[in-house]
Amino acid sequence: MFKPMLRGSACALKAVSVRAAFRPVAAASFVSPIRFYSSSLNKDEISSRVIDVVKSFDKTTASASITNDTHFAKDLGLDSLDTVELLVAIEEEFDIEIPDKVADEIKSVGEAVKYIESNPEAN
Amino acid sequence: MAKRLSGLQREVLQMYRQCIRAAHDKPKANQPNFVTHIRKEFRQYQDLPRKDFSTIEHLLRVGHRRLEMYSQPEVKDIH
Repeated sequence: MFKPMLRGSACALKAVSVRAAFRPVAAASFVSPIRFYSSSLNKDEISSRVIDVVKSFDKTTASASITNDTHFAKDLGLDSLDTVELLVAIEEEFDIEIPDKVADEIKSVGEAVKYIESNPEAN
Repeated sequence: MAKRLSGLQREVLQMYRQCIRAAHDKPKANQPNFVTHIRKEFRQYQDLPRKDFSTIEHLLRVGHRRLEMYSQPEVKDIH
């Protein structure tokens, strides 16, 4: 009386294990919907591009020596309105949009580089 | 400059940012015209006392309306 029942359950077990064995193969054949960001941006590249943007900005005064430590207001003589314009130019260069709250805090080349580095959408 | 900005000052800066961004959506050749216009409009009131709230708020309101008008895609150039 028990025998057929047992056999039945063994059968079911086998079916489950077969299905389980197939599943990972099926999943692997799909392309997983992960978004890949370009990871080619390194810090030196970002800072050289930021410095290029700063140099080409028409209101900068001391364009000869711009480094990561250059402060927009103190070293370049930019006021708050100019800084806003410069940041929009940097946004365009890296194809991002810096939120207002963050942008108000960025006051030097180094801070801009740091933000762009932390933003995965920058390219 | 090192002083912390007041809420109203930040509002003006955000408005300036919106304007500059809107200018960058215009045809490439005319973008400098928009930027000079924006600069002129903001610099005109640069020396307004920072305590003159009612005037600044009024200018902000007017500015938002004009920004809305100028950011229409039909507006291609400005003089």
